[in-house]
Amino acid sequence: MMDALIFVLAGAFATATPLLLAALGELVVEKSGVLNLSVEGMMALSAAIAFMVTLQTGSHLVGFVAGGLSGALLATVFAVLVLGFMANQVAAGLAVGILGLGLSGLLGRSFEGMTLPGLGKIALPGLSDIPVLGRILFTQDVVVYAAIAATALVAWFLYRTKAGLTLRVIGENPNTAHALGMRPVGVRFLAILFGGVMAGFAGAYASTVLTPLWSQDMIAGRGWIAVALVVFGTWRPGRVAVGAYLFGAVSLLGLALQAMGIGIPAQIMTCLPYVLTIVVLVAISADKVRVRLNAPAALGESYRPAS
Amino acid sequence: MRHWIRTALTTAALGVALTVSAKADPFKIGYLLPNPVGELGWSYELDRGGRAIAEKFGDQVEIQFVNSLGEGPDATRVMNKMAADGVDMLVLGSFGYQQDGMKLAKRYPKLSVVHIGGYMNAPNFSTLTPRHYEAAYLCGMAAGMVTKSETLGVIAAFPLPEVLNVMNAYVLGAQSTNANLKPVKVIWLNSWFDPAMEKASTESLASQGTDVVFSLFPGTPGPMAAAEQLGIYGTVTHSDNSKFAPTKHLCAGQLNFGPVMIQKVEEAMAGNFKGDDVFAGIADNAVSVAGLSKDLSDEQRAQILARQDEMGAGTFKPFTGPITSNEDKEAVPAGTSLDDGAIKGMNFLVKGIDTTIPK
Repeated sequence: MMDALIFVLAGAFATATPLLLAALGELVVEKSGVLNLSVEGMMALSAAIAFMVTLQTGSHLVGFVAGGLSGALLATVFAVLVLGFMANQVAAGLAVGILGLGLSGLLGRSFEGMTLPGLGKIALPGLSDIPVLGRILFTQDVVVYAAIAATALVAWFLYRTKAGLTLRVIGENPNTAHALGMRPVGVRFLAILFGGVMAGFAGAYASTVLTPLWSQDMIAGRGWIAVALVVFGTWRPGRVAVGAYLFGAVSLLGLALQAMGIGIPAQIMTCLPYVLTIVVLVAISADKVRVRLNAPAALGESYRPAS
Repeated sequence: MRHWIRTALTTAALGVALTVSAKADPFKIGYLLPNPVGELGWSYELDRGGRAIAEKFGDQVEIQFVNSLGEGPDATRVMNKMAADGVDMLVLGSFGYQQDGMKLAKRYPKLSVVHIGGYMNAPNFSTLTPRHYEAAYLCGMAAGMVTKSETLGVIAAFPLPEVLNVMNAYVLGAQSTNANLKPVKVIWLNSWFDPAMEKASTESLASQGTDVVFSLFPGTPGPMAAAEQLGIYGTVTHSDNSKFAPTKHLCAGQLNFGPVMIQKVEEAMAGNFKGDDVFAGIADNAVSVAGLSKDLSDEQRAQILARQDEMGAGTFKPFTGPITSNEDKEAVPAGTSLDDGAIKGMNFLVKGIDTTIPK
């Protein structure tokens, strides 16, 4: 029983990490006023590339770098379309996402079904000896810790730095920002790039640490869940993290309960993570005024620099 | 005048060319698979079946392989194109190709269609289903022999009849070699394909004391690789997965589509293709156990292989009564065996499986 509980809670962090990494990236992109719906494709492409690179070099670090770069590459294509050619953001995001999915299948063809050794768990000295809690919180791989740090860093950047303020202003009203001497196009480009790198890390984590194998379509909708988490977490990094971990925990809880033979229909267990995550996030974001304050007002609107 | 001569010559040449090409015209087969072929699993085994055809018939056949073909519009388009281009036979390797294949079979009466894993039939539309459950029974025997915790776990996608009969056979096999078995744990993935959840399911079962996990119709070798890491035994369907679990591979139900495929091609080439319902098992050399663990003693191995021979000879049938369902109803009365129709339409779980059929 205790082992089953530890499986759920400890496993939740790893299961949630790709969602959280991708969602943090998307959050920054959306805060700058751009809606990038290509997260799924960016994750898939970087999962394929990170897997290949890790397999060849034997280094997860190099694999993550390659994953981040391929995410950034695809994000650049998206940025050129929406910032350069002022394409519709929804359409461009979907197109680039499909491109990423297709490329991932093409590039990963000869690696189909191969596996990798995962990444070792780091037991934090002292802390990991605490009974139960030590195995849940302090015996995780390095990326899980990094994702928690990234959540704090993104929150700090957005709400405690001048650059973060600039980004948020551009997300509210790029024309005003431009009149104040800010550079909406440049800032949005950097934000999109950051989103690409984070989606790349998320893909790399999924294929080289979490599963760890490569198979076409292995991202299995996690990119879309990340996009949804940003919205339901009302663009607040902390809430997005809560949503991601909750989603991870509940999806594993379903597996644990089924194995115990508890007679809840499996279909209900499968949709429970989605339902519960939405309910909880909607509940903690029930204040409509604050939701409106957090939502970037210029989200999805193209910005044409005044000439 | 010269013009006429040229035309006549050209026509003659064309005529000769046509005759020659008609003579050497190979039997054309379109071979469609849902996933990338990879190194093992469903698409890989089907692909191997296609290669067996190519090897057997050489120049007499021309096989056009298309893999990673998504069900739906893509598959429809490719199939229609192939049929319009005049292929003689279509081999359709996914359940979801069934409706489109049937439409084409009706529109092109000369086309022979072999669909794998469906339920429809027409004079030129044959359905082919492997008896996975026969090998599953044998792997269950192995699981019953090696389990120390007496706790087995199964990871399966959806509670379809063909999944239920494999699961039941596996558990009956395990019960036949181990009288003390605890209720078998089952996780329904509710997805044909989610590698991360397949792996997590293996971990979940292991955390609750399972020491043999059965990966039933897996999307990836993920559960087997996870079992190896966790130090528990893994059993699997479709292909020998030893590569992914070098020390913990207990048993696999190995598919072999070659012989049955070759038979269907021979029928079609001879012009007497039968739109029959082929349920191919050990007797047809279509299914067998593979990758048995070294941890099994020689006697245990011999016991399993003897059962395999009995099934091949038809003297042993896994679904022979008395079998009680896990809702304590009589599923198969004593002294009778389920017929193929009942096996294909199975809608109960045997006693000793700790899950309900999700409805």
